[in-house]
Amino acid sequence: MSATFWVWFGIAVYIAVGLGIALMARRRLGVGVSEFFLANRRVGGFVSALSYSATTYSAFMMVGLVGLTYFTGVGALGFELTYLCGMFMMVFFLPRFWLVGRKYGYVSPMELLSDRYQNRGVGATAAILALVFLVPYGAVQLMGVGYLMNGVSGGAIPVVAGIIIAVVCAIAWSSIAGLRSVAWTDAFQALIMIVTSAAVLGVVIAALGGFGAFFSKLEAASPGLLTVPAAGGAWNINMFIGLALPWLFFLISNPQVSQRLFIPKSVTAMKQMLGGFLIFGFIYTLISVLWGFGAHLLVPGLENADLATPKLLSLTMIPTGLAIVVMIGITAAAISTIDSILLTLSSVWARDIHKGLINRKVSEKGELRVGQWVIPIMAIIAFLFAWWVTEQPEGGLNLMIAPLSSAASAGLLMAVPTIFGAFFWKRATALGAMVSCIAGAVLVLVFQLTGERPLGWWPGTWGFIVCAVLFVGVSLSTKPPKEKAEEFIGYLREALKKGNFI
Amino acid sequence: MTKSAWGWTWFAFLLALDIAIPWYVLTSVEKMSGAFLFWTIWAAAAIISAFIVLLKWRGVEE
Repeated sequence: MSATFWVWFGIAVYIAVGLGIALMARRRLGVGVSEFFLANRRVGGFVSALSYSATTYSAFMMVGLVGLTYFTGVGALGFELTYLCGMFMMVFFLPRFWLVGRKYGYVSPMELLSDRYQNRGVGATAAILALVFLVPYGAVQLMGVGYLMNGVSGGAIPVVAGIIIAVVCAIAWSSIAGLRSVAWTDAFQALIMIVTSAAVLGVVIAALGGFGAFFSKLEAASPGLLTVPAAGGAWNINMFIGLALPWLFFLISNPQVSQRLFIPKSVTAMKQMLGGFLIFGFIYTLISVLWGFGAHLLVPGLENADLATPKLLSLTMIPTGLAIVVMIGITAAAISTIDSILLTLSSVWARDIHKGLINRKVSEKGELRVGQWVIPIMAIIAFLFAWWVTEQPEGGLNLMIAPLSSAASAGLLMAVPTIFGAFFWKRATALGAMVSCIAGAVLVLVFQLTGERPLGWWPGTWGFIVCAVLFVGVSLSTKPPKEKAEEFIGYLREALKKGNFI
Repeated sequence: MTKSAWGWTWFAFLLALDIAIPWYVLTSVEKMSGAFLFWTIWAAAAIISAFIVLLKWRGVEE
């Protein structure tokens, strides 16, 4: 039987297993908004860690980061590890989100902002930011699946077919049991992801004669890839900061991951979640980058770097079965990210837009229904975006998966001063939050669309500077919600002390 | 200095190294023992320091 048959067979098995897990999760599904979107804040440490890992690490890593490494070298490692270093900030933010989530019953990070700033407009502004900028990020996951299935099947599966499969699965798994089905499928797939990708790396390194020979060949063949700024000056400091800055604050700027800070069932679960993720992230990043270097040696001369992984998997040295299992693992990881995004966007729409602005008296049941309707709508929008991008002429760094992901995060970065202010600055005001988010986001969009980079700085860098200055300036000239700020930050001060948090 | 201030200072120090070492010290070292090794050790240091903090967390009333 042909490789294409086995690819389709693998996809069918994957869908069946994923569906089975999602339906099992549904048996435990209770009622209510908090249950659907947060699994009632009762998720264990092991599942939390794997789910956080699979949501964060997805098609971007095994397709985008591999491609970026292939194309631009070791700077890609620094860029991705800067994100992981940013996770150090979790020691500040994880306990804070978790504690206030329990005390005030927040469902979305935007609801936290609305309450803290005593202004629904703040949550709505952050919600719109998420809706606008998470669509390209979701589309990136779909593109990853499309390229991968196309490459592994030798072109037999069109890119758009892979995208459609991903969309349908993501809709199903986020709708069946909300966060429970998302977290359970994430956890299962995260294990497959890391085990199979490590296995392929092992095969590649063995084919190159072991680690020592692999490194020697790389140093001899492409020494420029091992320094910055290398590969034609690709990793100049402006590019590094432009790509890494949004990544650094990913843990709080991206609501699909910051919402996860509400779900651990205990402090022990929180510790397991963070510790497990850090270990997973470190290993997975190294695997991805080494995979990119391996691809550079084994399949040189590609014009579209996002094809590095599919081409590597289609080499004869990789057993077909292993290539298909890896393809399934990456596909699942991509889907687990987009279903998390869909679930978060639906909760944000239902809680912060619909209930917050349109119909304040909506029942919990009505709110949940609205959220469930938003899931397929957002999925279709992401699908259309992904389809459009894949139809563009190949090549060009601007349409590669990694820069596109980072560009999306650049927009979300504009909420970061507002989030810092909520937890650390009593003087922060709602107007400061809204003005800074809107002005920063508009600036990022204008610079992204026009390609303008004054002084060579990237859109996210400019947006962040303007946003932070406006946030402080406007806050200092307007009146803060003093009582709420005292109560919110005062509560945290006491609770943090009790838990020995910093 | 409070524990929190120490934490933020340490984080800022790590970020300064993130730029300073690869771009100003290792820029001509075209080997795996250059920027690749630096970033690997640097990230490991960030992870270990996060573990040092989180292992001190204790249960609070829920």
